[in-house]
Amino acid sequence: MRSILIIVSLVSLVALILPSILFLAGRMDLDKAKWIMLLATIIWFVTATGWMWKEPGKTQKDEAVIP
Amino acid sequence: MSEERHSQQTQAGDEFEREPVPQNRLLGFKSFIGMYAGEHCAGTELMIGPLFVAAGVSAFDLVVGLIAGNVLAVLSWMFLCAPIATRARLTLYYQLEKICGRQLVTLYNLANGVMFCFLAGAMVTVSATALGVWFKFPMPELSDLYPNSVGWVIAVLACGAMISVVAAYGYEIVSKVANIAAPWMVLVFIAFGLVGLKQFIDATGSEVHNLTDVWTLAKTHIWQGGAPHPGRVKFTLWHVMFFAWFCNMAMHIGMSDLSVLRFAKKSWYAVASGTGMFLGHFLAWLAAAILYAFQMHAEPGNTKVLPGPLAYQAAGLTGLICVIIAGWTTANPTIYRAGLAFQAVVPRSSRFRVTLITGAIATVAAMFPALAMRLLDFVALYGLVLMPMGAVVFVDFWLIPKLGLRGSYAEFSGRHFNWAAFAAWIVTLAVCLAIVFIVGNWTLYFVALPGWFIASVVYIVLSRFYQKQVHPAAAL
Repeated sequence: MRSILIIVSLVSLVALILPSILFLAGRMDLDKAKWIMLLATIIWFVTATGWMWKEPGKTQKDEAVIP
Repeated sequence: MSEERHSQQTQAGDEFEREPVPQNRLLGFKSFIGMYAGEHCAGTELMIGPLFVAAGVSAFDLVVGLIAGNVLAVLSWMFLCAPIATRARLTLYYQLEKICGRQLVTLYNLANGVMFCFLAGAMVTVSATALGVWFKFPMPELSDLYPNSVGWVIAVLACGAMISVVAAYGYEIVSKVANIAAPWMVLVFIAFGLVGLKQFIDATGSEVHNLTDVWTLAKTHIWQGGAPHPGRVKFTLWHVMFFAWFCNMAMHIGMSDLSVLRFAKKSWYAVASGTGMFLGHFLAWLAAAILYAFQMHAEPGNTKVLPGPLAYQAAGLTGLICVIIAGWTTANPTIYRAGLAFQAVVPRSSRFRVTLITGAIATVAAMFPALAMRLLDFVALYGLVLMPMGAVVFVDFWLIPKLGLRGSYAEFSGRHFNWAAFAAWIVTLAVCLAIVFIVGNWTLYFVALPGWFIASVVYIVLSRFYQKQVHPAAAL
């Protein structure tokens, strides 16, 4: 399950950047690119949450500076 | 336990706060790549890129200046901060306490907390601009100093209150969201640049077939140079280079990252900071700058630097989500850190209450657009204020013993306030700020360089007197 989530989430990242590349190449209009990016965003947050949530969050590195 | 997980736990500062990190807890190179890449893709990147354009920067000056400045920043991490971090393996706090004494460190924390507070304010401002796209209230102009509409004040209040309350309860959930959002956010930043580039190509009717054509477009339309917007310092290659070098001065030359790099097996692992510099402080800044330059091209009279509308125009809802998350996930830990710093000054106060008050101050600051619209100046000032203590740490570690003096003198003498270090800090700030006020605002971006040498010399000279006059308490 975890492997599937990782694969789907990585594919969603490709789907996130691809529309802007296609838009730059003149192969896609901007409205369609925006919708695909939104879809990819939703898929990323759903699937990545599935396998990244249990990892500890990014912590504040400067906290150690504080007494 | 994965190495990355271990990295994240140890970076929390809950281990080895007052002892060197042992060999068996050191971390590999990979841990630092992820940390630095995530750390430097923040909401404020969406302000900084456009502000370069507002400063009238040219394409060559921007690109070459950013490359040179970012390389210098990475070298500063590698050759100033990391060698001390991997030898002493102590937090900055403990290192400073040994040198300066506990009372002076408390003062340093107060300065740190104030700076964090205003930095968080700028991040709240970034998030609030996204709300303006939905609710259509008047948003600040580039030249505005004060809040310009009730809608703006309410939006900032809403964002600031949410961020502050979450920070006060502890921000573990937000930090998890930040972790998940980091790779997504980098790609959205890149998408901003690609979309903006295409919009420029279409709007100008340029023929682009290769990188040379892209460069021509950049020079002739995107970053044409010329006069800055009224009231702005004109940015040349030197301004861009020094800004890119010094915008994280508190971390590298200021030694804040001793607390992170003390876990590195080798000092060269600090080269990992290059991921943050070239993703966040190169790609993200350029992308945001392209969006703003396109706005100026399409509507020459519209000089507003508003990340929300800029991102929405380029990437729709994805752009708005990016602005909100980028501002939120960076403002949240910043308010938390500021709260911790203030709590160190008033140890008996509850962390919850202090963080809420800190968030309230940041929120009030965020209502004033001057803070975000003058972010380049503020970031330069932020580095300048904390830099002298980095010079003190550097000199105390490398030079003081070679000059026949005693390093870590506060620890040796049992004193709580090292006047030599305090004077080095204050004299440096006084001289640097005097230069800025007398010579001109443009010097703010450069003055930290001579300032580092001033701090070093003052600390060495005064340490000679101080160590002759102040002896270990037990010897009295």
